[in-house]
Amino acid sequence: MNHASSTNLNLTLKIWRQAGPQQVGGLKTYEVEGISTDMSFLEMLDVLNQQLIAKGEEPVAFDHDCREGICGTCGVVINGQAHGPDRGTTTCQLHMRRFQNGDTIVIEPWLAKAFPIVRDLVVDRSAFDRIIQSGGYVSVNTGNAPEANTTLVPHHVQQDAMRAAACIGCGACVASCKNASAMLFVSAKVSHLASIPQGQSERSRRVLNMVATMDAEHFGNCTNTGECEAACPAKIELTNIAKLNREYMTALMYSKE
Amino acid sequence: MNAVAAARSDNVTDSSTQSRTGLIDRLGLGWFFRLLSSSIGQKFVMGVTGLLLCGFLVAHLAGNMLLFVGEKSFNEYAHALHAQWELLAIAEAGLLLLFLAHIYLAFATTIGNLKARTNTYTLRQTKVPGRIIGANSWMFISGSVVLGFVILHLIDLRFALRSGIDYLVESDPGAPFHNTVAVLSNPLSRVIYFVGVIVLGVHLSHGFSSAFQSVGFNHPKYTPMIKILGKIFAVVIAVGFASIVVFVPGMWK
Ligand code: HEM
Ligand code: SF4
Ligand code: FES
Repeated sequence: MNHASSTNLNLTLKIWRQAGPQQVGGLKTYEVEGISTDMSFLEMLDVLNQQLIAKGEEPVAFDHDCREGICGTCGVVINGQAHGPDRGTTTCQLHMRRFQNGDTIVIEPWLAKAFPIVRDLVVDRSAFDRIIQSGGYVSVNTGNAPEANTTLVPHHVQQDAMRAAACIGCGACVASCKNASAMLFVSAKVSHLASIPQGQSERSRRVLNMVATMDAEHFGNCTNTGECEAACPAKIELTNIAKLNREYMTALMYSKE
Repeated sequence: MNAVAAARSDNVTDSSTQSRTGLIDRLGLGWFFRLLSSSIGQKFVMGVTGLLLCGFLVAHLAGNMLLFVGEKSFNEYAHALHAQWELLAIAEAGLLLLFLAHIYLAFATTIGNLKARTNTYTLRQTKVPGRIIGANSWMFISGSVVLGFVILHLIDLRFALRSGIDYLVESDPGAPFHNTVAVLSNPLSRVIYFVGVIVLGVHLSHGFSSAFQSVGFNHPKYTPMIKILGKIFAVVIAVGFASIVVFVPGMWK
């Protein structure tokens, strides 16, 4: 049963295969046929894996969970671009209609010192968890829902906070940065919580600790090239990094922390 | 406690629980140490030193433009400047400090960046519309070329140490103009100065606007203007200094 507008693609895939963290990896070439343009990128990989299993080969390991662009688990570098060619799109939301019959697609894992490869396309992003653990939270007891107008947050401030909170922690910013910098990720959380009342009491400590952890995890420094912003599926903006810089310098110079 | 664990512990930046044993702590200079060792502190200082160096470039170019006016004006300017020798000494010390800080941090951040990205993709493609891998990927290299040029420039004119150039002694009232033209007429200096100032322009075409972002200044009202201003500034500095290299030796044969 074919959808009227869909066509089928024959593709050559060059995929990074690596048996384990310490093993040497390399690109391996596979052919897949009859890929529907209605499929998502991950479904295309599912088809390949089915083929490999049928042949008794080891399937390609890749991370995924929600497959609807909200969990941040998926994410590979497709033809040199984190999450592939579309802006504001995760790998799971990328569709095969973006490709042409006969295309060769190179698929590599996120590469960064702080994201060691676990296997094939799967990397260990727990460095992000440790950054969040060091301050990306609010530990005040907020109790029951308060009377709506007791804490006034102007609409535009709330919008800024919401836009920053959209980060799904996928790591595309690190993967696409020539310096493997995590500043877009950290700036999203810092801006988010610095904008709202609940975030105030830990505001200085949060930014100092999160940046200290970011540095200790061996992420690089921002050189303002903007690749992270372009690769980010949640459209986190570079202005957040400027805000992170302000927050950090203010905490460093004026707070008692 | 290793660094990661230290950073993870909630109290790491709580001044009340920090042990105060080291000299840095006893002087209360922990913030200063963090300013120069944390990624964001380092970028902040790079931005500030870079912008202050830009300020120096403006003053230096303005003074040097007198080379087009004539021998007398330039010598007068130079003598007036050197008459303020106390202030000049402070300014020179300040400049040296700015350069040393900027260069130290250039090395520190660049080494950090190389360590953070130990392997590269087989295929790499930008997602920034219209981006050609340009000035912003060449900051360390363009900075190093500028450093080479600055060192030669100091040897040539600050210390008058190049052999094969017929310098007038410093006490001679005509020395500033004569020595400048003599150095600019030297083929090696001429070529390196030309390349040096053009590459400086490339450095600034990214550096100027980048510095504002690094110090935390990004605002929808001003940032578009700063970006354009940065490009104009880079062109003015590069063309301004290059015009001296190209035209001045021929003008005053
Ligand atoms: C007259 C001399 C110089 C001026 C006016 C200048 C200016 C600047 C400015 C304004 C920035 C932007 C700072 C930022 O992004 O926060 C910058 C960055 C930088 N400069 Fe310089 N600089 C000079 C010399 C040098 C030298 C001698 C080096 C030595 C290697 C150097 C290496 C760098 C590096 C690596 C960066 C960081 C680039 C980045 O983060 O994208 N610069 N410079
Ligand atoms: S900032 Fe964007 S690219 Fe980076 S982790 Fe968050 S969602 Fe992913
Ligand atoms: S699988 Fe959840 S965002 Fe892609």
